Amino acid sequence: MKLSQIVHKFGCTVYTKDLYDPEKTIDFAFCSDLMSDALMIMSTVKDGETLRDSVLITGLTTNQSIRTAEMLDVEVVLLVRGKIPAEPVIELARESGIVLLGTNLTMFNVSGLMYQEGIQGISLHK
Amino acid sequence: MITLDRHFVIVPNDYNEAGKASSELKRTLKRMGFSRDLIKRVSVASYEAEINIVIHSLGGTADFKIIDDVIYLQFIDCGPGIPDIELAMQEGFSTANEVSRLNGFGAGMGLKNIKKAADDMILVSDCNGTVLKLKFYIREDDKNVG
Repeated sequence: MKLSQIVHKFGCTVYTKDLYDPEKTIDFAFCSDLMSDALMIMSTVKDGETLRDSVLITGLTTNQSIRTAEMLDVEVVLLVRGKIPAEPVIELARESGIVLLGTNLTMFNVSGLMYQEGIQGISLHK
Repeated sequence: MITLDRHFVIVPNDYNEAGKASSELKRTLKRMGFSRDLIKRVSVASYEAEINIVIHSLGGTADFKIIDDVIYLQFIDCGPGIPDIELAMQEGFSTANEVSRLNGFGAGMGLKNIKKAADDMILVSDCNGTVLKLKFYIREDDKNVG
């Protein structure tokens, strides 16, 4: 899916407009409110392209969702359940080169809809 | 030859600043042109270790060095220490509190993830504090990539 399709279909707010590339392709996703889990699972992916084409879906609106994405080379974070990030979190996203999006959909629903569109989940690579 | 030598103070329970040292490390390694895989392994281990100090300790420090073809990370905290290292290394075991869980941590995966990422890991702990030393070897195909 193109990032513009994600924004359009899921009614996303783009918090980091200057970093937003509508043509960017998203093929993979991982969802969790626990950044420990995201770090554990996503760090096992060897192919850098996969992570760059991934979105981290989370309800965690703190700096740590941005830091986690940065450490993993994930370039897009999608906040769910209509949560609004504080200005310093948006600023950190800008500084870290992370596209920060928000949707009113729940984590389950947005994940299911993305799956229907062909986006694959990231699982543990042993 | 020493090509990197940085020192950071890590403040306990400061979730706004948590991860800042690791972010700076990652950006420096990127500028130095190392491979994405090496940078990711170092960054993830550093971030997990930094978060551990924020969550569990009374504060500490992080030191990052590159000497020849080895990246050294050293994290030292002022206690209270890990009572049972073997138990702490077990997947899923965590003593993290509610605040750290609200900040997305405390799944009990940190130390295990660090061990997996690093080429070498030494962990020493008593009631005075914990010392974590990590080594990452820079291979020929990790150089001048970025």
